[in-house]
Amino acid sequence: MTKKILVIGGGPAGLEAARSAAELGGEVILLEKRERLGGTPDREGYAKLTHHWRDASEAMAELAAAVTSNKNVEVKYQAEVKEISGSAGAFNVKIEAGGKAESFDAGAVIVATGFQHFDPGRATQYYNYYSFPDVITLTDLEKMLKEHKVVRPSNGEAPKKIAFIQCVGSRDRQIGNEYCSKVCCGIASKQAIEIREQLPDSKVMIFYIDMRMYGYWEPEIYWKAQEQHKVNYVKGVISEVLKKGDQLLIRGEDTTMSRPMEVLMDMVVLSVGMEPSAGTRAVAQLAGVEQNKYGFINAGGASGLDPSATSKAGVFVAGAASGPSDLDDSIAQAGLAAARAVASLRN
Amino acid sequence: MPTTLENWNPGKAEDRHPEMTYAEKERLFLEVKSDPRYNDFLYGCYECGICVSTCPSARFYDYSPRVIAQAMAREDVERIYDIISEDIWNCAQCFSCVRCPRQNNPGGLVTLLREVAVKNGLQETKDVLQGYSRVIYKVMLKGNQVSPDMLQPDFFPDWGPWVAGFSANMQVWRKAIPVDTLRGVTDAAWRTDRKTLLELYTIWFETGNMEIIKEIDEGLHDLLADVMQEELEEG
Amino acid sequence: MTEMTTVEEILERKSHSVIRDAEVAPTHDIREALYELEAKGEIIVQRVPENHVEVTTKYGRTKKIPIDHTWHHKSCGQCGHIPGYTSSIFWLHRQFGLDYIDPTDQTSCTGWNYYASATSNAAAQAAVMSRNFAAAYETGYFPMIHCGTSYGHYKEIREQLVHRKELRDEVRRILDKLGKPLVIPEEIVHYSEWVHVMRKKFAERQTVSFAPITATVHPACHYYKIVAEDAIYDPEIYGGQRTATVTATLEALGINVADYSTWFDCCGFGFRHILVQRDFTRSFSTLRKIEVMKNEVNPDLTVTHDTGCVTTLDKSQFSAKAHDRNVGIPVLSDAQVAALAMGAHPFRVVQFHWHSTDWRPFLDKLGIDWKKYWDEFQGDLDAIRAGTKSGITWEDADKPVIYG
Repeated sequence: MTKKILVIGGGPAGLEAARSAAELGGEVILLEKRERLGGTPDREGYAKLTHHWRDASEAMAELAAAVTSNKNVEVKYQAEVKEISGSAGAFNVKIEAGGKAESFDAGAVIVATGFQHFDPGRATQYYNYYSFPDVITLTDLEKMLKEHKVVRPSNGEAPKKIAFIQCVGSRDRQIGNEYCSKVCCGIASKQAIEIREQLPDSKVMIFYIDMRMYGYWEPEIYWKAQEQHKVNYVKGVISEVLKKGDQLLIRGEDTTMSRPMEVLMDMVVLSVGMEPSAGTRAVAQLAGVEQNKYGFINAGGASGLDPSATSKAGVFVAGAASGPSDLDDSIAQAGLAAARAVASLRN
Repeated sequence: MPTTLENWNPGKAEDRHPEMTYAEKERLFLEVKSDPRYNDFLYGCYECGICVSTCPSARFYDYSPRVIAQAMAREDVERIYDIISEDIWNCAQCFSCVRCPRQNNPGGLVTLLREVAVKNGLQETKDVLQGYSRVIYKVMLKGNQVSPDMLQPDFFPDWGPWVAGFSANMQVWRKAIPVDTLRGVTDAAWRTDRKTLLELYTIWFETGNMEIIKEIDEGLHDLLADVMQEELEEG
Repeated sequence: MTEMTTVEEILERKSHSVIRDAEVAPTHDIREALYELEAKGEIIVQRVPENHVEVTTKYGRTKKIPIDHTWHHKSCGQCGHIPGYTSSIFWLHRQFGLDYIDPTDQTSCTGWNYYASATSNAAAQAAVMSRNFAAAYETGYFPMIHCGTSYGHYKEIREQLVHRKELRDEVRRILDKLGKPLVIPEEIVHYSEWVHVMRKKFAERQTVSFAPITATVHPACHYYKIVAEDAIYDPEIYGGQRTATVTATLEALGINVADYSTWFDCCGFGFRHILVQRDFTRSFSTLRKIEVMKNEVNPDLTVTHDTGCVTTLDKSQFSAKAHDRNVGIPVLSDAQVAALAMGAHPFRVVQFHWHSTDWRPFLDKLGIDWKKYWDEFQGDLDAIRAGTKSGITWEDADKPVIYG
């Protein structure tokens, strides 16, 4: 039995799992398929995290540094898993790292392969993301916010009227993603506040079905957006985005007023939801763990109360690979996975 | 019905149709609910408003597919009676509302409500369909309609002077069509085999369609039944 | 390599088209269910003929569109008062020597009885459809549906028949009385899907240049909204986000297709409304569709692919004009546009004279001497009146007459 713990994925969940496992005495191998750590927040250039408005790059750099500076963690970049065989306590893993084939043994595996954003062209409603330059996604906007240069891609000018459309690719039986992606309401509201700060002349409206404002988000994000920054929240999600002149026409029902509405906007931001990443789908197959009907890795274990347990002993899951998660979820789950992984190798 | 202090508020559904008992209204609702397609058309509703947004009738009438879905989900018998007696005839049956992310089909619910309204011979329904009997006659008897001989200036005056021009030249224009099944046919859209029509009549009788017509317009029914039965007897 | 700015990155990402992966399609493929029922001996599944083309539909699945050996399920409104629409469909087939049947053993889908007045029921509608499909099956030719509403209606009935045994049993009981089998075709095909797969062939034989023409497309609700997954989506048209049908055809014929802000709106047909409650239909179609097109794009033509839509958009403009609304866009079906492109006679084939909104400026812009063809056609009519000609036949109409 080997004491090595394999963590697949170097995003927030993977980084936390690797660091915690090492601190608990484990020997960790961390595989990351990119050339740098930080996962989706890093790759997508997130600006501020909803957590205490921290700068995303700083936060990810901290998480990454805690791992790279820990002598019990070996990080392999540009690494992809090719095969996993064996069982708890004695897995054999074949990978390709930097073009070279490698193979090693691990006692436990933590899958932290994360999510990808929903492709807005697949939305049931017609948002025309691939047709109109000024229809963008949360991640497109995140990058512009980071650079403090929020402009309309069509003409490079600052937008005056911006709309957020919630639940794009989530809560939808026709797409199959019936679940709620959890974080988009918080992110959209955060971004709305950031826009109002960066562009004081702008008017921002958020069109929603329900506002998911768990716990402290309610006063810290939702009330703040409405009260301090005058962001308008309209209950009624948008059915179509069309072009009218050089603006965008959005159509929905203002359900409060019980009538159809059409509003002209300069820019529309689609709150795209989470889906399992290609890595999650691939690794789930390789590790032989059960996935739910959406392709996420089934977590909960036999009791249903262990968020890090998969259907296979010795294989744990952390972060958005198991379903829509925010950072708190991912980090907590990763810590639990690390503890369980280390414990499993002590017996 | 005289306005009193008790019923002056037109906003109360139960006051709008005092001629109907609650039991009757409930019976109608349960008839809709018992349709096998009901559960295909109604799931849950989170009031996103997409159905209203896409609905052409919602822009022109005081009409809301979302309200219909909600009323059905809540089993609000009074409100549903309102809907079945008036609102359902505003629906354009375009099915834009099936863009519902919960996969509800408000247009489909309207279809079920209409079927029940027709089967039960609701007076408002009969009134609404009164001008429509010519069309029902044609489609039942000919298997197709909006036939050329229906294009009369008195029936379509708003379609322009073109209609008068056509109806004066109908015979000759209909001969000037190269499609073999259309050429020269004026009382139907195309030439149909007699055997085909007999098969159609059999379908109408076998599926209870004639009984449905009878509820709406007994005179129309009798006229159709006579002609069809005669044809069927001739074989 | 220079790094892109954020805006450039965003635009680069948006220059692609949506990727549709049939592996993650949220629905079960209904054709699998059909084959299963066939294996149990419950239905016969009529296969698409060998000569067919595959297209992709909304969830990335493929659909087979037959090229020939087709049985034409005609549209009542179309044949009744837009016969140029029907004759164009057949004329196009005839130009390529394709084998087809124009049946007399066909009723309409009778959807009018259902959607307009609800004076029918599920069993009757299903039986009418099944009778028509059995009639096609008996000839060995594959049904092709001319009307968008019949197409949508039949797709819905197909779902009902597949999922409800009692309905199947009831329909089978009635078909037994008629001596007919219960047949469901492998695909339910709309003629505009055939036009779509043939569009490049039409362009090869195009003799009339449409280069000066700007047109708007009105996609039929019943084509792409009912059973939404079963419509053609193509990554090269609208980035794969809207149905490609009609738009792809017009682009292939060199027409400049312009977008407008009510593209997804219904035309306002309403079934019953267009016959007996026309204030709704003409208001909706002119205020929400025609006027918007005119104000935003001012097209020479608007093109659609359903009987009801052609009727609504074409016939509503006269009364709106009387109220000084900004209307006046001629309306044609995709089949008529394709036929005209290939030089079909404007009156013997395309039958412009049945259209209400003025089409003369459109033909003028194309440089077509329509007066000459009108005189020819008047000659035909005179001969028919005089009794020297019984009518216009394919012999009179088959040959293209406009050479650009």
